[in-house]
Amino acid sequence: MIEILGLPAASTFADDIDRVFTIIFVAVGFWFLLAEGVFFWLIFRFKKKDGVKAQYITGELKSEKRWITVPHNIILLFDIVIVVAAVQVWYDVKQDLPEEPDKQVVRVIAQQWAWTFVHPGPDGKLDTPDDIAKVNEMHVQADRLHHFQLESKDVIHSFSVPVFRLKQDVIPGRVITGWFTPTKTGTYDIQCTEICGVGHALMPAKIVIQTAAEHAEWVAKNSSVAVASAALR
Amino acid sequence: MHSHRSLVIAAACVALAAFVPRAALAADNPRGAELFELCTQCHGAAGEGNPMALAPSIAALPEWYVLNQLNHFRTGARGTHPEDVGGLRMYPMAMTLKTDEDTKAVAAYVAGLPPVRQTQTLSGGDPARGAQLYAVCTQCHGPNGAGNPAMQSPPIAGQADWYLLSSLQKFKAGTRGTYPNAAIMRGMAGTLPDEQAMKDVIAHILTLNANTAANAAQ
Repeated sequence: MIEILGLPAASTFADDIDRVFTIIFVAVGFWFLLAEGVFFWLIFRFKKKDGVKAQYITGELKSEKRWITVPHNIILLFDIVIVVAAVQVWYDVKQDLPEEPDKQVVRVIAQQWAWTFVHPGPDGKLDTPDDIAKVNEMHVQADRLHHFQLESKDVIHSFSVPVFRLKQDVIPGRVITGWFTPTKTGTYDIQCTEICGVGHALMPAKIVIQTAAEHAEWVAKNSSVAVASAALR
Repeated sequence: MHSHRSLVIAAACVALAAFVPRAALAADNPRGAELFELCTQCHGAAGEGNPMALAPSIAALPEWYVLNQLNHFRTGARGTHPEDVGGLRMYPMAMTLKTDEDTKAVAAYVAGLPPVRQTQTLSGGDPARGAQLYAVCTQCHGPNGAGNPAMQSPPIAGQADWYLLSSLQKFKAGTRGTYPNAAIMRGMAGTLPDEQAMKDVIAHILTLNANTAANAAQ
Protein backbone atom coordinates (compact mmCIF):
# COMPACT_ATOMS: atom_id res chain seq x y z
CA MET A 1 0.00 0.00 0.00
CA ILE A 2 2.84 2.40 0.89
CA GLU A 3 4.43 1.53 -2.46
CA ILE A 4 1.32 2.87 -4.20
CA LEU A 5 2.02 6.19 -2.47
CA GLY A 6 5.44 6.27 -4.13
CA LEU A 7 7.84 4.78 -1.58
CA PRO A 8 9.46 1.58 -2.91
CA ALA A 9 9.84 -1.45 -0.65
CA ALA A 10 13.51 -2.40 -0.85
CA SER A 11 14.15 -4.85 1.98
CA THR A 12 13.04 -8.40 2.71
CA PHE A 13 10.86 -7.25 5.62
CA ALA A 14 9.41 -4.11 4.01
CA ASP A 15 6.39 -5.97 2.63
CA ASP A 16 5.65 -7.48 6.07
CA ILE A 17 5.67 -4.02 7.66
CA ASP A 18 3.52 -2.66 4.84
CA ARG A 19 1.05 -5.47 5.50
CA VAL A 20 0.73 -4.45 9.16
CA PHE A 21 0.36 -0.84 8.05
CA THR A 22 -2.43 -1.85 5.67
CA ILE A 23 -4.23 -3.87 8.37
CA ILE A 24 -4.08 -0.88 10.74
CA PHE A 25 -5.13 1.53 8.00
CA VAL A 26 -8.13 -0.57 6.97
CA ALA A 27 -9.21 -1.30 10.57
CA VAL A 28 -8.91 2.29 11.72
CA GLY A 29 -10.29 3.65 8.44
CA PHE A 30 -13.36 1.38 8.66
CA TRP A 31 -14.22 2.56 12.17
CA PHE A 32 -13.48 6.17 11.33
CA LEU A 33 -15.86 6.15 8.36
CA LEU A 34 -18.52 4.19 10.28
CA ALA A 35 -18.32 6.49 13.33
CA GLU A 36 -18.46 9.61 11.18
CA GLY A 37 -21.39 8.15 9.23
CA VAL A 38 -23.35 7.40 12.40
CA PHE A 39 -22.43 10.78 13.82
CA PHE A 40 -23.77 12.71 10.81
CA TRP A 41 -26.82 10.41 10.51
CA LEU A 42 -27.71 11.19 14.13
CA ILE A 43 -27.24 14.93 13.54
CA PHE A 44 -29.61 14.96 10.58
CA ARG A 45 -32.03 12.32 11.90
CA PHE A 46 -32.56 14.12 15.20
CA LYS A 47 -32.17 17.72 14.11
CA LYS A 48 -34.39 20.41 15.66
CA LYS A 49 -38.11 19.97 14.90
CA ASP A 50 -40.94 22.32 15.77
CA GLY A 51 -42.95 21.10 18.73
CA VAL A 52 -40.48 18.37 19.73
CA LYS A 53 -38.61 18.93 22.96
CA ALA A 54 -35.00 17.72 23.24
CA GLN A 55 -34.41 14.79 25.61
CA TYR A 56 -31.59 14.38 28.05
CA ILE A 57 -30.25 10.83 27.64
CA THR A 58 -28.18 9.46 30.52
CA GLY A 59 -26.95 6.39 28.61
CA GLU A 60 -27.94 4.01 31.41
CA LEU A 61 -30.44 1.88 29.47
CA LYS A 62 -29.14 -1.34 27.98
CA SER A 63 -30.42 -0.32 24.52
CA GLU A 64 -28.38 2.91 24.82
CA LYS A 65 -25.25 1.32 26.24
CA ARG A 66 -25.22 -1.11 23.32
CA TRP A 67 -24.07 1.78 21.10
CA ILE A 68 -20.83 1.76 23.09
CA THR A 69 -20.33 -1.86 24.14
CA VAL A 70 -20.88 -3.53 20.76
CA PRO A 71 -18.38 -1.36 18.83
CA HIS A 72 -16.01 -1.52 21.80
CA ASN A 73 -15.91 -5.32 21.75
CA ILE A 74 -15.51 -5.44 17.99
CA ILE A 75 -12.64 -2.91 18.20
CA LEU A 76 -10.99 -5.12 20.82
CA LEU A 77 -11.13 -7.99 18.31
CA PHE A 78 -9.55 -5.72 15.71
CA ASP A 79 -6.82 -4.79 18.22
CA ILE A 80 -6.04 -8.45 18.78
CA VAL A 81 -5.66 -8.94 15.03
CA ILE A 82 -3.33 -5.91 14.84
CA VAL A 83 -1.26 -7.02 17.83
CA VAL A 84 -0.84 -10.58 16.53
CA ALA A 85 0.23 -9.29 13.09
CA ALA A 86 2.59 -6.67 14.58
CA VAL A 87 4.24 -8.95 17.14
CA GLN A 88 5.14 -11.46 14.44
CA VAL A 89 6.78 -8.73 12.34
CA TRP A 90 8.41 -7.15 15.40
CA TYR A 91 9.98 -10.48 16.28
CA ASP A 92 11.28 -11.04 12.75
CA VAL A 93 12.71 -7.52 12.35
CA LYS A 94 13.82 -6.53 15.85
CA GLN A 95 14.15 -9.62 18.05
CA ASP A 96 15.70 -12.00 15.55
CA LEU A 97 19.20 -11.42 14.16
CA PRO A 98 19.63 -13.69 11.14
CA GLU A 99 23.08 -15.09 10.46
CA GLU A 100 24.59 -16.00 7.11
CA PRO A 101 28.21 -16.87 6.31
CA ASP A 102 28.66 -14.03 3.81
CA LYS A 103 26.90 -11.33 5.84
CA GLN A 104 28.33 -7.81 5.66
CA VAL A 105 28.76 -5.73 8.83
CA VAL A 106 28.58 -1.92 8.51
CA ARG A 107 29.20 0.47 11.38
CA VAL A 108 26.86 3.46 11.43
CA ILE A 109 28.06 6.40 13.54
CA ALA A 110 25.65 9.24 14.16
CA GLN A 111 26.64 12.69 15.35
CA GLN A 112 25.29 16.20 15.23
CA TRP A 113 24.67 16.48 12.23
CA ALA A 114 26.11 13.81 10.01
CA TRP A 115 26.30 10.08 9.50
CA THR A 116 29.56 8.21 9.13
CA PHE A 117 29.38 4.76 7.58
CA VAL A 118 32.35 2.46 8.07
CA HIS A 119 32.32 -0.32 5.48
CA PRO A 120 34.66 -3.30 5.50
CA GLY A 121 37.24 -3.38 2.74
CA PRO A 122 38.14 -6.38 0.54
CA ASP A 123 39.00 -8.45 3.64
CA GLY A 124 35.35 -8.26 4.67
CA LYS A 125 36.26 -7.26 8.24
CA LEU A 126 35.84 -4.06 10.18
CA ASP A 127 38.64 -2.37 12.16
CA THR A 128 41.33 -3.19 9.62
CA PRO A 129 43.33 -0.66 7.54
CA ASP A 130 41.25 -1.20 4.41
CA ASP A 131 38.01 -0.04 6.06
CA ILE A 132 36.10 2.49 3.99
CA ALA A 133 34.64 5.40 5.99
CA LYS A 134 32.16 7.58 4.16
CA VAL A 135 30.24 10.58 5.39
CA ASN A 136 26.53 10.66 4.55
CA GLU A 137 26.92 7.84 2.02
CA MET A 138 26.27 4.17 2.76
CA HIS A 139 27.01 1.46 0.21
CA VAL A 140 25.40 -1.97 0.45
CA GLN A 141 24.90 -4.95 -1.78
CA ALA A 142 21.51 -6.15 -2.97
CA ASP A 143 20.32 -9.59 -1.87
CA ARG A 144 22.97 -9.84 0.84
CA LEU A 145 22.38 -9.89 4.58
CA HIS A 146 23.79 -6.83 6.35
CA HIS A 147 24.23 -6.27 10.05
CA PHE A 148 24.52 -2.65 11.14
CA GLN A 149 26.12 -1.45 14.37
CA LEU A 150 24.68 1.87 15.51
CA GLU A 151 26.76 4.24 17.60
CA SER A 152 26.33 7.88 18.58
CA LYS A 153 29.06 10.39 19.35
CA ASP A 154 26.81 12.82 21.16
CA VAL A 155 23.02 12.69 21.57
CA ILE A 156 20.16 10.35 20.68
CA HIS A 157 19.60 10.00 16.93
CA SER A 158 17.42 7.61 14.96
CA PHE A 159 18.60 5.68 11.91
CA SER A 160 15.79 5.54 9.40
CA VAL A 161 15.83 4.04 5.92
CA PRO A 162 12.28 4.56 4.62
CA VAL A 163 12.59 2.16 1.66
CA PHE A 164 13.58 -0.59 4.09
CA ARG A 165 10.77 0.44 6.49
CA LEU A 166 13.60 0.48 9.04
CA LYS A 167 13.92 2.81 12.01
CA GLN A 168 16.13 2.34 15.05
CA ASP A 169 17.16 4.79 17.76
CA VAL A 170 20.88 5.42 18.23
CA ILE A 171 21.84 5.79 21.89
CA PRO A 172 25.12 7.35 23.09
CA GLY A 173 27.25 4.80 24.95
CA ARG A 174 25.57 1.79 23.37
CA VAL A 175 26.20 -0.27 20.25
CA ILE A 176 22.86 -1.36 18.82
CA THR A 177 22.93 -4.10 16.22
CA GLY A 178 20.24 -4.66 13.62
CA TRP A 179 19.90 -6.16 10.19
CA PHE A 180 18.47 -5.79 6.71
CA THR A 181 18.71 -7.48 3.35
CA PRO A 182 18.24 -5.04 0.45
CA THR A 183 16.17 -6.32 -2.45
CA LYS A 184 16.33 -3.47 -4.97
CA THR A 185 19.26 -1.59 -6.43
CA GLY A 186 19.21 2.21 -6.49
CA THR A 187 19.96 5.26 -4.37
CA TYR A 188 17.58 6.07 -1.54
CA ASP A 189 17.26 8.38 1.48
CA ILE A 190 18.54 7.89 5.00
CA GLN A 191 17.06 10.20 7.63
CA CYS A 192 17.52 11.01 11.27
CA THR A 193 14.09 10.62 12.84
CA GLU A 194 14.89 11.82 16.36
CA ILE A 195 15.14 15.56 17.00
CA CYS A 196 18.86 15.91 17.71
CA GLY A 197 19.53 19.64 17.71
CA VAL A 198 19.32 22.70 15.52
CA GLY A 199 20.79 20.85 12.52
CA HIS A 200 18.50 17.81 12.79
CA ALA A 201 16.81 18.53 9.49
CA LEU A 202 20.18 19.01 7.81
CA MET A 203 21.56 15.51 8.23
CA PRO A 204 20.13 13.51 5.36
CA ALA A 205 22.29 10.78 3.87
CA LYS A 206 22.06 8.37 0.96
CA ILE A 207 22.08 4.61 0.80
CA VAL A 208 23.42 3.20 -2.46
CA ILE A 209 22.26 -0.37 -3.11
CA GLN A 210 24.46 -2.01 -5.72
CA THR A 211 24.69 -5.33 -7.51
CA ALA A 212 27.42 -7.70 -6.30
CA ALA A 213 29.71 -6.71 -9.18
CA GLU A 214 29.14 -2.97 -8.71
CA HIS A 215 29.70 -3.25 -4.97
CA ALA A 216 32.93 -5.24 -5.38
CA GLU A 217 34.19 -2.59 -7.81
CA TRP A 218 33.29 0.19 -5.37
CA VAL A 219 35.03 -1.60 -2.49
CA ALA A 220 38.18 -2.20 -4.53
CA LYS A 221 38.34 1.42 -5.68
CA ASN A 222 37.69 3.00 -2.29
CA SER A 223 39.68 0.65 -0.10
CA SER A 224 42.88 1.52 -1.96
CA VAL A 225 42.23 5.18 -1.09
CA ALA A 226 41.57 4.20 2.52
CA VAL A 227 44.79 2.20 2.74
CA ALA A 228 46.84 5.04 1.20
CA SER A 229 45.28 7.55 3.57
CA ALA A 230 46.03 5.33 6.58
CA ALA A 231 49.63 4.95 5.44
CA LEU A 232 50.08 8.74 5.40
CA ARG A 233 49.21 9.01 9.09
CA MET B 1 22.74 47.03 48.94
CA HIS B 2 24.89 49.70 47.37
CA SER B 3 27.27 47.07 45.99
CA HIS B 4 24.31 45.14 44.50
CA ARG B 5 23.17 48.27 42.69
CA SER B 6 26.69 48.80 41.37
CA LEU B 7 26.81 45.21 40.13
CA VAL B 8 23.49 45.57 38.34
CA ILE B 9 24.59 48.83 36.71
CA ALA B 10 27.91 47.29 35.69
CA ALA B 11 26.16 44.22 34.21
CA ALA B 12 23.73 46.47 32.34
CA CYS B 13 26.63 48.49 30.95
CA VAL B 14 28.40 45.33 29.76
CA ALA B 15 25.19 44.03 28.14
CA LEU B 16 24.59 47.40 26.53
CA ALA B 17 28.18 47.63 25.32
CA ALA B 18 27.78 44.23 23.64
CA PHE B 19 24.35 45.03 22.26
CA VAL B 20 24.92 48.51 20.81
CA PRO B 21 27.62 47.53 18.27
CA ARG B 22 25.54 44.53 17.17
CA ALA B 23 22.43 46.68 16.75
CA ALA B 24 24.40 49.08 14.56
CA LEU B 25 25.88 46.15 12.66
CA ALA B 26 22.43 44.68 12.07
CA ALA B 27 21.16 48.01 10.80
CA ASP B 28 24.01 48.14 8.27
CA ASN B 29 23.75 44.48 7.30
CA PRO B 30 20.22 43.17 8.02
CA ARG B 31 20.61 40.08 5.84
CA GLY B 32 23.85 39.15 7.58
CA ALA B 33 22.19 39.65 10.98
CA GLU B 34 19.27 37.47 9.94
CA LEU B 35 21.54 34.66 8.73
CA PHE B 36 23.73 34.95 11.83
CA GLU B 37 20.78 33.89 14.00
CA LEU B 38 21.44 30.25 13.07
CA CYS B 39 25.14 30.62 13.91
CA THR B 40 24.30 31.80 17.42
CA GLN B 41 22.99 28.32 18.28
CA CYS B 42 26.58 27.10 18.62
CA HIS B 43 28.88 30.14 18.32
CA GLY B 44 26.87 32.27 20.75
CA ALA B 45 25.00 35.54 20.37
CA ALA B 46 28.24 37.55 20.31
CA GLY B 47 30.17 34.96 18.26
CA GLU B 48 32.17 34.21 21.40
CA GLY B 49 32.33 30.46 20.74
CA ASN B 50 31.40 27.49 22.88
CA PRO B 51 33.82 24.62 23.51
CA MET B 52 30.92 22.36 24.57
CA ALA B 53 29.51 22.71 21.05
CA LEU B 54 33.00 22.52 19.49
CA ALA B 55 32.28 25.97 18.10
CA PRO B 56 35.21 28.40 18.07
CA SER B 57 35.10 32.13 18.61
CA ILE B 58 34.36 33.78 15.28
CA ALA B 59 33.74 37.38 16.38
CA ALA B 60 36.00 39.85 14.61
CA LEU B 61 37.68 37.26 12.38
CA PRO B 62 38.65 38.87 9.06
CA GLU B 63 35.87 38.85 6.50
CA TRP B 64 38.06 37.21 3.82
CA TYR B 65 38.87 34.34 6.19
CA VAL B 66 35.28 33.71 7.27
CA LEU B 67 34.19 33.83 3.64
CA ASN B 68 36.90 31.36 2.60
CA GLN B 69 36.06 28.93 5.36
CA LEU B 70 32.32 29.12 4.70
CA ASN B 71 32.99 28.37 1.05
CA HIS B 72 35.25 25.46 2.01
CA PHE B 73 32.41 24.07 4.10
CA ARG B 74 29.88 24.72 1.33
CA THR B 75 31.96 22.85 -1.25
CA GLY B 76 32.83 20.02 1.13
CA ALA B 77 36.53 20.91 1.14
CA ARG B 78 36.19 21.18 4.91
CA GLY B 79 33.89 19.46 7.38
CA THR B 80 33.46 16.18 5.52
CA HIS B 81 36.11 14.03 7.15
CA PRO B 82 34.61 11.27 9.34
CA GLU B 83 36.93 12.16 12.23
CA ASP B 84 36.31 15.92 12.13
CA VAL B 85 33.40 16.01 14.58
CA GLY B 86 33.19 19.81 14.84
CA GLY B 87 33.58 20.22 11.09
CA LEU B 88 30.79 17.74 10.44
CA ARG B 89 28.54 19.91 12.58
CA MET B 90 29.43 23.01 10.61
CA TYR B 91 29.17 21.42 7.16
CA PRO B 92 25.35 21.14 7.07
CA MET B 93 25.03 24.60 8.63
CA ALA B 94 27.07 26.13 5.80
CA MET B 95 24.87 24.30 3.31
CA THR B 96 21.99 26.51 4.44
CA LEU B 97 23.77 29.42 2.72
CA LYS B 98 22.26 29.03 -0.72
CA THR B 99 23.87 31.98 -2.48
CA ASP B 100 27.26 33.69 -2.62
CA GLU B 101 25.56 36.93 -1.62
CA ASP B 102 24.23 35.38 1.58
CA THR B 103 27.65 33.91 2.36
CA LYS B 104 29.26 37.34 1.91
CA ALA B 105 26.58 38.98 4.04
CA VAL B 106 27.05 36.66 7.02
CA ALA B 107 30.86 36.80 6.68
CA ALA B 108 30.72 40.60 6.78
CA TYR B 109 28.44 40.48 9.83
CA VAL B 110 30.76 38.09 11.70
CA ALA B 111 33.79 40.21 10.82
CA GLY B 112 32.05 43.27 12.25
CA LEU B 113 31.35 41.71 15.66
CA PRO B 114 33.51 43.07 18.49
CA PRO B 115 36.27 40.65 19.57
CA VAL B 116 35.55 38.54 22.65
CA ARG B 117 38.35 37.78 25.10
CA GLN B 118 38.78 34.00 25.45
CA THR B 119 39.13 32.11 28.71
CA GLN B 120 42.20 29.92 29.06
CA THR B 121 41.27 26.22 29.24
CA LEU B 122 44.60 24.45 28.66
CA SER B 123 47.39 24.05 31.16
CA GLY B 124 50.87 22.59 31.15
CA GLY B 125 52.19 24.51 28.15
CA ASP B 126 55.68 26.00 28.25
CA PRO B 127 55.59 29.42 26.52
CA ALA B 128 59.40 29.66 26.38
CA ARG B 129 59.69 26.38 24.45
CA GLY B 130 56.59 27.40 22.51
CA ALA B 131 58.29 30.63 21.41
CA GLN B 132 61.03 28.56 19.79
CA LEU B 133 58.55 26.23 18.11
CA TYR B 134 56.54 29.25 16.95
CA ALA B 135 59.42 30.43 14.77
CA VAL B 136 58.12 28.39 11.85
CA CYS B 137 54.59 29.85 12.30
CA THR B 138 55.83 33.43 11.95
CA GLN B 139 56.42 32.89 8.23
CA CYS B 140 52.67 33.04 7.59
CA HIS B 141 50.93 34.10 10.79
CA GLY B 142 53.43 36.82 11.67
CA PRO B 143 55.46 37.31 14.86
CA ASN B 144 52.44 38.66 16.72
CA GLY B 145 49.97 36.08 15.34
CA ALA B 146 48.01 38.73 13.47
CA GLY B 147 47.85 36.68 10.27
CA ASN B 148 48.56 37.67 6.70
CA PRO B 149 45.73 38.01 4.16
CA ALA B 150 48.19 37.84 1.25
CA MET B 151 49.06 34.30 2.33
CA GLN B 152 45.50 33.47 3.40
CA SER B 153 46.79 32.99 6.95
CA PRO B 154 44.24 33.91 9.60
CA PRO B 155 45.01 35.66 12.87
CA ILE B 156 45.64 33.15 15.65
CA ALA B 157 46.29 35.57 18.51
CA GLY B 158 43.03 35.94 20.39
CA GLN B 159 41.62 32.57 19.34
CA ALA B 160 40.56 30.07 22.04
CA ASP B 161 43.34 27.72 23.14
CA TRP B 162 41.16 24.58 22.90
CA TYR B 163 40.34 25.42 19.29
CA LEU B 164 43.99 26.03 18.41
CA LEU B 165 44.85 22.62 19.86
CA SER B 166 42.04 20.80 18.05
CA SER B 167 42.94 22.57 14.80
CA LEU B 168 46.61 21.60 15.08
CA GLN B 169 45.60 18.01 15.82
CA LYS B 170 43.27 17.95 12.81
CA PHE B 171 45.84 19.54 10.50
CA LYS B 172 48.45 17.01 11.59
CA ALA B 173 46.05 14.06 11.18
CA GLY B 174 44.94 15.31 7.77
CA THR B 175 41.31 15.54 8.83
CA ARG B 176 40.87 19.32 8.69
CA GLY B 177 40.03 19.48 4.98
CA THR B 178 41.22 19.18 1.42
CA TYR B 179 41.70 22.88 0.61
CA PRO B 180 45.26 24.00 -0.31
CA ASN B 181 46.12 25.77 2.95
CA ALA B 182 45.09 22.67 4.92
CA ALA B 183 47.77 20.73 3.05
CA ILE B 184 50.33 23.44 3.90
CA MET B 185 49.28 23.44 7.54
CA ARG B 186 49.52 19.65 7.64
CA GLY B 187 53.20 19.99 6.94
CA MET B 188 53.61 22.80 9.47
CA ALA B 189 51.72 20.94 12.20
CA GLY B 190 53.92 17.96 11.43
CA THR B 191 56.87 19.91 12.84
CA LEU B 192 55.23 19.64 16.27
CA PRO B 193 56.17 16.15 17.43
CA ASP B 194 53.48 15.63 20.07
CA GLU B 195 50.60 17.19 22.00
CA GLN B 196 52.97 18.74 24.53
CA ALA B 197 54.69 20.64 21.73
CA MET B 198 51.29 21.85 20.55
CA LYS B 199 50.42 23.03 24.06
CA ASP B 200 53.77 24.80 24.29
CA VAL B 201 53.26 26.71 21.07
CA ILE B 202 49.69 27.56 22.11
CA ALA B 203 51.00 28.81 25.47
CA HIS B 204 53.22 31.19 23.48
CA ILE B 205 50.27 32.28 21.31
CA LEU B 206 48.36 33.08 24.51
CA THR B 207 51.13 35.53 25.45
CA LEU B 208 50.55 37.15 22.06
CA ASN B 209 46.89 37.45 23.04
CA ALA B 210 47.93 39.28 26.19
CA ASN B 211 50.24 41.54 24.22
CA THR B 212 47.52 42.23 21.68
CA ALA B 213 45.10 43.13 24.47
CA ALA B 214 47.72 45.37 26.08
CA ASN B 215 48.35 47.10 22.77
CA ALA B 216 44.66 47.58 22.21
CA ALA B 217 44.31 49.11 25.67
CA GLN B 218 47.03 51.68 24.99
